[in-house]
Amino acid sequence: MPPSLPTWFDLDPVAPFTLGGREIPGRIWTASGCFAYGLSGHDMAAPGFASPYAGIGAVVTKTVTPAPRSGNPMPRLAETEVGAINSIGLENVGYDVFCRETLPELEARGVPVIASLAATRPEEFGTMTARLQEVAGDFAHWHGIEINLSCPNVAEGGHDFGSDPGTVAECVAAAREALPGRPLLAKLTPNVADIAALARAAGDAGADAVSAINTVIGLDVDLATGRPVLPRRFGGYSGPAVLPIALAKVDQIVQQARVPVVGVGGIASAADALKFFALGCVSVQVGTAQMRDPFAAARIARDLVRAQS
Amino acid sequence: MAGTTAPAARSCPARFITNVEMSSGLIRLDCELDAPLPFRPGQFAMLNLADGLPLVFSRPFSILAGDGTTLSFLYRVVGRGTAALARLKPGQGLTVLGPLGRPFPTPDELEGRPAVLIGGGVGLPPVHAWFARHGRDGDTAFFGGRDGADVPWSMLDARWGVSVDRAVDVPADREAFAGVVTELVASRGDLADGRTRAVLACGPIPLLRAAARLAAARGWDCWVSLEEHMGCGYGVCKGCVVPVATAGPDGWRNATCCDEGPVFRADQIRWDRYGVPVLPTT
Repeated sequence: MPPSLPTWFDLDPVAPFTLGGREIPGRIWTASGCFAYGLSGHDMAAPGFASPYAGIGAVVTKTVTPAPRSGNPMPRLAETEVGAINSIGLENVGYDVFCRETLPELEARGVPVIASLAATRPEEFGTMTARLQEVAGDFAHWHGIEINLSCPNVAEGGHDFGSDPGTVAECVAAAREALPGRPLLAKLTPNVADIAALARAAGDAGADAVSAINTVIGLDVDLATGRPVLPRRFGGYSGPAVLPIALAKVDQIVQQARVPVVGVGGIASAADALKFFALGCVSVQVGTAQMRDPFAAARIARDLVRAQS
Repeated sequence: MAGTTAPAARSCPARFITNVEMSSGLIRLDCELDAPLPFRPGQFAMLNLADGLPLVFSRPFSILAGDGTTLSFLYRVVGRGTAALARLKPGQGLTVLGPLGRPFPTPDELEGRPAVLIGGGVGLPPVHAWFARHGRDGDTAFFGGRDGADVPWSMLDARWGVSVDRAVDVPADREAFAGVVTELVASRGDLADGRTRAVLACGPIPLLRAAARLAAARGWDCWVSLEEHMGCGYGVCKGCVVPVATAGPDGWRNATCCDEGPVFRADQIRWDRYGVPVLPTT
């Protein structure tokens, strides 16, 4: 991290900014799946921090699906020297519990939330969003939705709708119709030849921003057995190793699509975050680093603020 | 239930003090914190390297002891993370996130039942910590090792019963039962007095299964501390699940080892599902 911020950086990372017609409290967020439902850090302490939420603009909650999911068999994680491959399998409490219990608790605690949703059919994004609007429409701290189009662990019926621009547009349009006045984000997979086409499709269908990138497909081999470490063979690769991949994908979107970008992929420091802002991202999400340190996003926000003063 | 009230976690810097070889395979790591870290036996902490490139995931270690600002762990070198710990030089930086997880029950929570503590190999820390803090007359403690060289004798005073799979390298002034540690427990006449006891165990899965069976056969309650590979240690990554019994249609569900455990009631664990790659339907 440079001792002072580069002169091109003129954003206040912890000030509210407008996205999709709504004020979001800040530009440093936690990424979906990396801070659970945003309730795990409340009683944690660290020198110099009021809480792990200090300075965080939004917690993108762990993706919920229409029905609860138990996730994949163990082992679910394979660590490399510079990254981690996960095959959690979208384990989650399910949409009903999320709406009934999780969201109201987040609201009561004042945690700024972007809710991450995954569905098995495009129209489900509409029904899920409508229900969320019913339950939380008057919540002050529920800010919007990120639709998860790209989790590589779950391919219901072998159909991965996150890689087809037409299907991406259908999903976004379904959610858009049910979500007035709050930002709608589409999280994009990097495992395609042309991510900008996905971003254009999402933007044209009404997404206020795209989050890029989700995990990169990866595999590790256990040399003792000669077999893949993960029972499902592939998983989603994340962590410091994917940062340059994320930057390249973000740049493709910025150059070729007219939709705001939320940068995510391998961010572990304020310097990492600045690289995404340099490419034009409106905000960033901290993912795998949040697993190592519940205060990772808070530290990045603090470091950026300190460097500004 | 495992103990439900436990100190909240702190993320804090630490300085490595020393690695001390306690047996042929077990190393005690001491580090210095900025302030004491209150914990309950059975809780763990996530350790990582603060100098240079950190490990992508921190590593979970059960807390062995906390003496003032010195925190101690016990580990065996098994992979990249523990190899890095073994190479640390005094003064090097660590990060500590802890204490985490649900601890073993306290004597109060055991409602006066004497404890039978069983530690296998590198599973010694939580039962050692419990015995050091809570142990009193009537409680008994056991350690099971591979052979005499594997046993950290200096950590185990005469109150500890020791078993070894192979009865070699046992010091002349110490005794070791030849066999598995649950056989040693079963052979002890003083534990067959009809009193209801509570087993608190940590070690390899076969040991924990055997401890659970032994407890069930005698009508004792049993708590086990489980070990799984963890990504985060505080319940967010869902990378460390274990199968626990439920009333639902499948009869089981995945529980997160780090925050629903690592201490579970043994009768809550679906041992038949442990390590079986089959999913519940919901």
